[in-house]
Amino acid sequence: MIDVSVMVVDDHPMWRDGVARDLQERGFEMAATAGDAEAALRIARTVRPDVVLMDLNLGDTSGVEASRQITQEVSGTRVLVLSASGEHSDVLEAVKAGASGYLVKSASAEELVDAIRRTAMGDAVFTPGLAGLVLGEYRRMAVAPDSGSRAPTLTPQETNVLQQVAKGLTARQIANKLVISHRTVENHVQSTLRKLQLHNRVELARYAIEHGLDGDDSEK
Amino acid sequence: MANQRTTGERVDSRNTTSDQTLQPSTHPPDGRSPLWRAHNVMRVVMLCYALIWFTILVDDYAYPLLGTAVLVVMALWTAFTIHRYRHRSGRTNRLVLADQVVVTALFAICALVMTDDQLKAGLPTVVTIWQGSMVTSAAVQWGMLGGGICGVVAAVGNLLMRGLIDSNMAMDTVLHVGTGLLLGLASDTAVRSTERLSKALRAEAATAERERLARSIHDSVLQVLARVRKRGAEMGGEAADLARLAGEQEVTLRALIASSPPEPDEDGGQDLAARLQALSTARVQISVPATPVPLPVATASDLFSTVREALENADRHAGDEARVWVLLEDLTEEVVISIRDDGEGIPEGRLAVAESQGRMGVAQSIRGRVEGLGGTATLETAPGEGTEWELRVPRPESSDRQHGSGHRGGVSR
Repeated sequence: MIDVSVMVVDDHPMWRDGVARDLQERGFEMAATAGDAEAALRIARTVRPDVVLMDLNLGDTSGVEASRQITQEVSGTRVLVLSASGEHSDVLEAVKAGASGYLVKSASAEELVDAIRRTAMGDAVFTPGLAGLVLGEYRRMAVAPDSGSRAPTLTPQETNVLQQVAKGLTARQIANKLVISHRTVENHVQSTLRKLQLHNRVELARYAIEHGLDGDDSEK
Repeated sequence: MANQRTTGERVDSRNTTSDQTLQPSTHPPDGRSPLWRAHNVMRVVMLCYALIWFTILVDDYAYPLLGTAVLVVMALWTAFTIHRYRHRSGRTNRLVLADQVVVTALFAICALVMTDDQLKAGLPTVVTIWQGSMVTSAAVQWGMLGGGICGVVAAVGNLLMRGLIDSNMAMDTVLHVGTGLLLGLASDTAVRSTERLSKALRAEAATAERERLARSIHDSVLQVLARVRKRGAEMGGEAADLARLAGEQEVTLRALIASSPPEPDEDGGQDLAARLQALSTARVQISVPATPVPLPVATASDLFSTVREALENADRHAGDEARVWVLLEDLTEEVVISIRDDGEGIPEGRLAVAESQGRMGVAQSIRGRVEGLGGTATLETAPGEGTEWELRVPRPESSDRQHGSGHRGGVSR
C-alpha cells in the first residue's frame, strides 16, 4: 500500500505536521499539506492525491465547501473528513457534499491508517458517529415538510444495518446477526451514502435553477 | 487578542457612560429615559404657556403679587425637577411624590389668586396646563396604575376648584386621566422591552465569550493533548498510560466546548443530543442526529441521567476493555436510545446472581425511570456478547418538534 498518496488539510501546523509525519512513517506517500481551503483546492488540482485528509474547522474558510469542490473537480481524489467531535452538522454537510467518510480526531493511529486505506479503495468509512448522523438525516428528511416526495428513503434492511453500525458492530458482526453476506452489508452502507449525496446534488441544482444561480460558474 | 482588547474597552466605557448606553451589565439601562426627556420638554412648554396667560391676566387677578410668586415657584420647581430627572439617580419615588404635592399645592393657591369671576368664566389659572406635568411625571415613574391615579387626583382638584362641570372641565378630566394611563402604558412597555433587550444582550455576550474560549482551547490545549496522546501511544509502556489519560481529557474538553450548555429554548425544550454529547469519552461513543432533538427539560434530564447510569453500570461490570456505543434516534413521536457494550454480557441463568450483586438493582432503576416517562426499557444480553439497552420514550404532545431548526432545509451550503 505504499502507493497511496495523502494530502493533509488542517489549519494547525502542529497537528498537520504531526499527522503528516505519522503517515509517512507508516508508509504513505505524503503528497502535500495545506492550511486553508483555498490552498487545499489549488494544490489538490495539481497534485491529485488519492486521499485528502480534511479538517472542517479551517479558521474562516469552509472545509465543507472545499470537500465539495475537491470531490467534484479532482477525479480520483477522495476526501476523508478528520474532525473534532461535536461538529455534527458540518460533518453531515461534508459527507453529503461528497466526502467518503468521517473519523474523529481522537481516533487511534491504527484506525486512521485503516480508514485511509479503505478510502483509497473507494469504500465509505462508516464510523458509528457517521451512521448516527446519516440515520438522523434520513429521519429528518422523511418528516421535513419541504423535501416532499423527492427525498430518498432507506429500506428497512438499510435502516437496520445503519443502526447496527451506529451501535458499534463491525460489518462481519452485522452480517452474522442479520444473516446476510459481508458484501451485502457493505453494499447497504455504500448505498445509503450514495443516495444522500445524489439527493444533495439534485437539491443543489434545483436550488440553483430556482434562484437563478445556474449561470454562476464558480462550481465548474 | 483583538477580542480581549475589545472586551477591555467595553469594561472601561461602562464606568464613564450614562445609563443610556446598552451595557450587558448587572445594572440594566433605564428604558424610560426617553420618556423622562419628553416629560422635561413638556414641562418647559407648559411653563411658557402659563407665562403667556399670566401676562394677559395678571392685572385682573385678586392678588397679582401672590400670582407672581406662584409663577416664580413654578419656574424654580421646573428647573429643579428637570435637573434631577435628567439623571437616573434623581428619579426617586420621593421626588416624584414631592412633585405631586408641590404642583397640587400651587394649583390650590390659584383659587386665592384669581377672582371668583375669573374662575366662573373658565379662564386659565396661573398654573394652567402646567398642572398636567404632575401626571406625566407620575406616569413615567410609576406606570399605568400610578399615572391613572395621579390623573384622577389632578382632575378632581381641578373640578373642586371650579366647583362646576362644563364641557371644558369634562375635557380636562379626560385629558388628565387619559394622559396618565397612556404615558403609564408607554412607560411599562419601555421597562419591559428594555429588560428583554438587556437579557438578550447578556446572553449574546455570554455566547461570544464561550466561543472565544472554545476557539482558544481548540487552538492550544487540544492540539497539545492530541500530540501527547499520539506520541505517547507510540512510545508504549508508561507513556502509553499517560497518553490514554491525555486522550480522555482531550475528548472531555472537546465535548465540553463543542456542546453549548443546554439552555432551554424559547419553548422550554432542551436538546437531548447536545446533552448526551457530554458523556462521550475515549471508550464511550455517542451517535446522535445532526439536528437537535428537543424534549421537555424534565424528560431530557431524566433520560440523560438514565443513560449516565447505564454507562456507569457498563463501566463497572462489562470489563476493563469494553467499549460502549450510545445511539440516539428521533422518530418524531418517540425517542429511542440504544446503549450497547461489547463486554462479557450476563450469562444465562445468572440473572439471579446478578441481582444479588446489585446489578439488577440498576436494571430496575433504569426501567423505573423510563416507565415513569411512559416508555419502555428492554435489556438484551448473552454470554460474551455484551449487553444492549433499548429505551423508547414517547414524546409529549405539547413539545412539537421543530423540524429543520438551525438547519438548512436539506440543501447544503
